[in-house]
Amino acid sequence: MRSVFTIAAKDLRQRIRDRSAIIMGVIAPFALAAVFSLLLPSDQSFHTDYGVVDLDNGVVSSILTSQVLPGVAEAGFADITEIENRAAAAEQVENGDLGAVFFIPEGFSEAISSGSDATITIIGNVDSALSTQIAEAIASGYAEEINAVSLSVAAALGGFTTVQPGAIADLSSRAATFEPSILVEESAADSKQMSDKTFYSASMAIMFLFFTAQFGILSLLSERRLGTLPRLVAAPIGPWTIVIGKALTGFVLGAVAMLVLILASTLLLGAEWGNPIGVGLLALGGVISATGVSAMAATMAKTEEQASGWNAVLAMSLAILGGTFFSLDRAPEFVSKLSLVTPHAWFLRGLDELAATSGTVVDALPAVGVMVAIGVVTGGIGLLRARGLVVGK
Amino acid sequence: MGEMARVLECSGLHKSYGERKAVDGVGFHIDLGETYGLLGPNGAGKTTTISMICGLLTRDAGEVTVAGEPIDVGQIHAKQWIGYVPQDLAIYPDLTAEENLMFFGRLYGLSGKALKSRAEAVLEVTGLIDRRGDKTEEYSGGMKRRLNIGIGLLHEPRLLMLDEPTVGVDPQSRNAILDSVERLSGEGMAVLYTTHYMEEAERLCNRVGIIDQGKIMAEGTRRELVELIGERDRVRVVAEGNLDAAVSAVRLVEGVESANRSEGGFDILTGDARVILPALLRAIADAGGVVKGVDVVEPDLEAVFLHLTGKALRD
Repeated sequence: MRSVFTIAAKDLRQRIRDRSAIIMGVIAPFALAAVFSLLLPSDQSFHTDYGVVDLDNGVVSSILTSQVLPGVAEAGFADITEIENRAAAAEQVENGDLGAVFFIPEGFSEAISSGSDATITIIGNVDSALSTQIAEAIASGYAEEINAVSLSVAAALGGFTTVQPGAIADLSSRAATFEPSILVEESAADSKQMSDKTFYSASMAIMFLFFTAQFGILSLLSERRLGTLPRLVAAPIGPWTIVIGKALTGFVLGAVAMLVLILASTLLLGAEWGNPIGVGLLALGGVISATGVSAMAATMAKTEEQASGWNAVLAMSLAILGGTFFSLDRAPEFVSKLSLVTPHAWFLRGLDELAATSGTVVDALPAVGVMVAIGVVTGGIGLLRARGLVVGK
Repeated sequence: MGEMARVLECSGLHKSYGERKAVDGVGFHIDLGETYGLLGPNGAGKTTTISMICGLLTRDAGEVTVAGEPIDVGQIHAKQWIGYVPQDLAIYPDLTAEENLMFFGRLYGLSGKALKSRAEAVLEVTGLIDRRGDKTEEYSGGMKRRLNIGIGLLHEPRLLMLDEPTVGVDPQSRNAILDSVERLSGEGMAVLYTTHYMEEAERLCNRVGIIDQGKIMAEGTRRELVELIGERDRVRVVAEGNLDAAVSAVRLVEGVESANRSEGGFDILTGDARVILPALLRAIADAGGVVKGVDVVEPDLEAVFLHLTGKALRD
């Protein structure tokens, strides 16, 4: 066992001396996490400016201008400005003063009451796609409400196709006084979502962990190139001592890099990783899986360059599939399921569990278990292959 | 020499790569204080043999014991008796000489004061004491070679195995390496020395195994090998005075096979010139000849190799 530590200590000294592990393990992921945090603002801080042009000034349009849009303003994510005409609105949108404009044409209310087609136009800012999308969603919701009420009123009036505008408003306010028979209660469900800063810190940490951990077994190929491998094998130590010493190097480098990143992102970026014990277990699982996967990748190659290439391809593919760059919320279901073969997805999932308001260490254990299992299986294959590299055939 | 002094014993070593037999039944022994040379051209099987002896390479068949203990890839205890110096440099360029020595010393079980003291001694012997703190990537080729050998000596092994240590080395460093090996052997260390340089084998080795195509073709002292192929020493004597009488007297000296007059002297053919030379000179003087010069030409291992394999060592 003493020789295992001797080999690991020598390798660590070399890696620290050439700074490669520090760059790949700490500086690169921290810098990227910081850049992502700065460039991609949190959804929670979204705010925009909307304009509304109401040429109708009717009963139906007033529902949008007097009830719906003020509600949006009260929610705090948009300011509403009334504008006189379409040309002025288009100009302000084009100038970037407004994220989008709701344009209600003349005769809108009358068209609805007579059962004709009526249109609300959203004038969107091409540079603010999100503002436009939200405006469209608000308008669609409003249109669905109006359509539903029109249908109800028509039914209540015995199938008349023409509905008086006053009837809609009247029936709407009377309907509002009824107690609904079914109440849909909005619960304050756990969000199970890390903050953006935590997400970027965690995703960069787990991605670069796979580059840092590779320095362990990869150094077997360096020893072979340097000619020092035969000298190691000639020493009175078993082949497994050499292989485990190398794997330990990868593990220690990964663990230290992860610890430094967690501390640095917490202190400098404001990341909130969650329960320290849970985070520690997840980090340990991540390091074990990264050590195992990178050991397997390194032993598939014949040269260091080839091994680094394989490892880079594997690390990036797993990182993308595991949702470190893009959230998998909107991905097709099969992609979400496929992502579960990656330690990255489990690591982020575990942190999401911890981030939930009722999240505990126990909630993170399944993710830890899966990562350890991935590490044990791939690491077992990698170490067996590494022993083959050590013992000459 | 008795069994107690036997350091290395190997027999029946076989190693094949597919159809090609790299080593085919190699066996020899080395005793304490003896330097044994494996002499053969590149690709003869020297490095494969040495790799199997060190436990670097699995063998197809054969036995190896070092200091009476069996050794193989999985049998590691006997490895502590071996100091292995590979053919290529085997040092870490980004570590200092001292760090290299400390690292390998720990792998051989040295620690604390003993390790420090041995590292210090090796740095002294290799002449690297003043550069001990420099990274070895800053060393000259000769310095690297010296450290490469020094690491093999660090744990004071019973058997030093040097695999072509002078390949690609400048003449000065080469001479220093040969001096070191002679000194170590003189101090009682057993040495296995592989080379394809005939002069090195002749200078260093008590016994030589001539290896080609994975087989030891012949083994023995230089004299035994030369006798094996029937080669004789030639003695060229430059003399004045009564040369005819001197030639007749020389022919009567025991061990002389033939003696013939030549310009300014005579040529003598004998089994071992060194043994008969005193009697030879006395006979010439007694017959009235005056010796002006003597030149002895002994058959070398190159001639032996050529005789045994039909090709030159550097083919």
